[in-house]
Amino acid sequence: MSELLQIGAVNERPKPPRAEDLNLRFSDRAVAELEALKTHYPNWKACILPGLWIAQREYGGFLSGEAIAEVAHRLQRSYAEVEGVATFYSMYNTAHVPGKHKIEVCTCLTCQVCGAYPLWEHLKAKLGIGHGETTADGMFTLEEVECLNACDRAPLIQVGDQYIGPLDTAGVDRLLDELRGRSDSTVVQMADVVVQVHLREPERNPT
Amino acid sequence: MAAVIGTDLVTITINDVDIQVPKGELIVESVKRLGLEIPIFCYHPRMKPVGMCRMCLVEVGFKQPDGSVRKMPKPQAGCTLPASDGMVVFTDTEMVHKDRKGVLEFLLINHPLDCPICDRGGECPLQNNTVFYGPSTSRYIEIKRHLPKAFPLSKYVTLDLERCIQCGRCVRFTEEISGDSQLAFRFRGAQMQPSTFQLLDFESKFSGNVIEICPVGALTSAKYRFRARPWDLETKPSICLECSNGCNVWFDHRASKFVRINGRTNEAVNEEWTCDQGKFGHDWYNDPRRLIQPLIRAEAPELTESAGEAPQAFRPARWADAYDVIAPRFQSQGSRVGVLAGSKISNEGYFLLQKLVREQMKSNNLDHRWTNHLTPREARLEHKFGVNPRQFEIAEIESFSSILVFGGSLADDLPIVFLRVRKAWFQNGCKVVVASSQATDVDSFAHLSLIYRPGSEAALAAGLLHLLAPQTPGVARWTPEAIQEATGVPAAKLREAAEALRSPGMGIVTSHEMLNKPKGPDALEVLAGLAHQVGGRFSVFSCAGNDQGAADLGVLPDTVPGGARVESPGLDTRAILGAAAEGQLDALWLAGCNPFELWPDRDLVTRALENVPFLVVQDSLETEAMAYASVVLPMEAPAEQDGTYTNCEGRVQRLRKVIEAPGDAKEAWRTYQELSLRLHPQAPLFNPSEVLGEISAQVPGYPGPNHEGLLGEGVVVPELGSNPDFSGLESTLGRL
Ligand code: SF4
Ligand code: FES
Ligand code: FES
Repeated sequence: MSELLQIGAVNERPKPPRAEDLNLRFSDRAVAELEALKTHYPNWKACILPGLWIAQREYGGFLSGEAIAEVAHRLQRSYAEVEGVATFYSMYNTAHVPGKHKIEVCTCLTCQVCGAYPLWEHLKAKLGIGHGETTADGMFTLEEVECLNACDRAPLIQVGDQYIGPLDTAGVDRLLDELRGRSDSTVVQMADVVVQVHLREPERNPT
Repeated sequence: MAAVIGTDLVTITINDVDIQVPKGELIVESVKRLGLEIPIFCYHPRMKPVGMCRMCLVEVGFKQPDGSVRKMPKPQAGCTLPASDGMVVFTDTEMVHKDRKGVLEFLLINHPLDCPICDRGGECPLQNNTVFYGPSTSRYIEIKRHLPKAFPLSKYVTLDLERCIQCGRCVRFTEEISGDSQLAFRFRGAQMQPSTFQLLDFESKFSGNVIEICPVGALTSAKYRFRARPWDLETKPSICLECSNGCNVWFDHRASKFVRINGRTNEAVNEEWTCDQGKFGHDWYNDPRRLIQPLIRAEAPELTESAGEAPQAFRPARWADAYDVIAPRFQSQGSRVGVLAGSKISNEGYFLLQKLVREQMKSNNLDHRWTNHLTPREARLEHKFGVNPRQFEIAEIESFSSILVFGGSLADDLPIVFLRVRKAWFQNGCKVVVASSQATDVDSFAHLSLIYRPGSEAALAAGLLHLLAPQTPGVARWTPEAIQEATGVPAAKLREAAEALRSPGMGIVTSHEMLNKPKGPDALEVLAGLAHQVGGRFSVFSCAGNDQGAADLGVLPDTVPGGARVESPGLDTRAILGAAAEGQLDALWLAGCNPFELWPDRDLVTRALENVPFLVVQDSLETEAMAYASVVLPMEAPAEQDGTYTNCEGRVQRLRKVIEAPGDAKEAWRTYQELSLRLHPQAPLFNPSEVLGEISAQVPGYPGPNHEGLLGEGVVVPELGSNPDFSGLESTLGRL
């Protein structure tokens, strides 16, 4: 967003995609889940949040413009509205493409007192990345986050839908090794968990 | 919203004054009743209150049984607070003043204060509120946030993010009023910014309005940016003629040059909105191609003395010379001449034009219509069925319980009518059914969209008639199944649509765009019959500028002003062009119209203009047709003259001259008047008011020049048909 406008220049913007030009990528399962979710709410606007979770899973953990457009299209909302919702919440990955695993380190008061910053520095040094960055192999993304509401387990780290803590640096190393050994992505896995939570039992795992 | 919620009254006290207000009225509105004002930013009377900016804080308390007042501990936002009995409001206490200072100081922390180079400076609510209610200095000495400036959201709207105070008016406008939801807030907290999806083009038909409602200079007009300061501009009320809705606008100008258009409030027409077509469509006033003096083609035989000039070239001429050349070519030429008119001439102009043609040229070859179907007089609804073709005004659309929008694309053909239909749905829950051969903007809020195969519009109308008024003779065979066959609209969907529409308060909105469709006129007949049968109301609105005025004032081959029949009708648009192409016309006059743009058959137009020996082109701008002209007459644009114009609902509105016309351009009515006088000396009409006086004497319903309605919202010309008789509908249904 840093283009400068020349006075007198024709300042036409590129157009948003037409509905017929969208490259829809939801799997059959995702479509079935979304259809089920639509029936949970009085209107489709209310279905934007779970719809975005489905998209986050289907698009490999990142809500790109296309992912947002697909949700908007399927729920017949405007692209802008859905983008506004997605960019409001930090659990939707819209700012940067996350790695396979997103390591969220709480550095809020309790965790800080209990030693979150040594963990944070350790992670940064070990992975060679800082806040909001992803390792070159696309394995880890590091984020510093606000209170995760589990101060009793400080210092605490969130990976996917798991809270891990209290932790020390050795524990962090074990955690990294464990994550490296996993074949699935905890980012995607977490999105799926959230989707499943929204569904009723008979609606889960549609064929 | 400002709209009164109920009719119960409650007594509240504002600054020690007791006042009765409707229960539930927002305090921000109630204080206006006492002539007080609460400063606001995010509140807008036409949109839902959101309480985002906190500028409107007031102190509120409640009367206790012992008569004392117990104040709430914290101030309340006046824009979200509904009045209730015994409420006590203070807008002028020390605490309120302190709150306002605090809110403004906060807002200004993140505001760049670049007022000296801001378009809004001088007419900026933030500036005004700061001067009236704000602190004189700020305690904030840190570095301000910096964000992109001058970001082009579209070719019309430029976003300056630093200036945004995050009031959400623009976002809510696109959600609540225009309905395209093109803007939304992205991110949150201090990063929150109104923007389009991925900052792509702001594609809206009403985007210009957000520029006007933004309380700061965050959204500015790409066309007006840095062109002027508000205090250097003069402004006058005007009417927009870019389409037939007749929006009321402010015409800002400087040194007789048009600068910008802003919406002007007329509750009966556009409320306060404009469409982009109108708001950004007036640049042609300053076009270097404006015609500024009469031109005569040098080869014209009357000018042989100018032999030295290159043949074919135009020579500038005086009006008198131009009249001399024109007069003999048209005088009493009867069927050998033709006149075609455009849609931006005033009522006075149209009236004198038809008078000139009928009385001095002795011709009826006169038309203003450019649609595919040029319905002859006896086939028009008002004469065939005796039914009024415009049964409601724009504002009445809000009161319908169900609306059928039929044909065309409403947001393009009639943008302001579109906004009313949407408002009827958004505010009153009216059920809207849209029928069109394509997807339209109405779909987004329509209860049902019926997309029919192009050309099958009449059948679809018959299908609805079958379901809603089965007793109509001749409609029996149009069962939903037959309709599915004929139009492609599923039978079940049609049934559902009929159910949604079935209500005594049904309105049918359609437009002259139907006259471009193969079976459009038949569809209109069926729809008029449908409304008649079910006790609903039906309007077919004209689409271009002052078309309604041209029709009322007899710019037609077969109808005189007021609607009476012409003894021997002349040629219509198609026939005039055809006759010219065949060399059957000796002279043709194009009054403010360019057939190359208006008539789809370009080939016919070229042949017509090539083969007519004498062509008068009267226009405000150079057009393609000029290449064929023998004489060119410069015409004043609407805002350059006094005149009245009739909008699509039949509302006559007066436009007072705003700026001077360039050069020698002349009002159309005066041109016709002067030529008439040459051909037939008579008592002249000196000004448009005198012409309007004549019109009102001849055309039932047209207001005289002193009608007080012309000072306000305009005067709606009442119904034509009053004796509906739909016995002819059976044969229409038979031939579909
Ligand atoms: S751009 Fe203007 S109207 Fe929109 S949120 Fe910002 S201040 Fe309000
Ligand atoms: S401070 Fe870390 S979980 Fe609360
Ligand atoms: S005007 Fe009331 S909070 Fe903005």
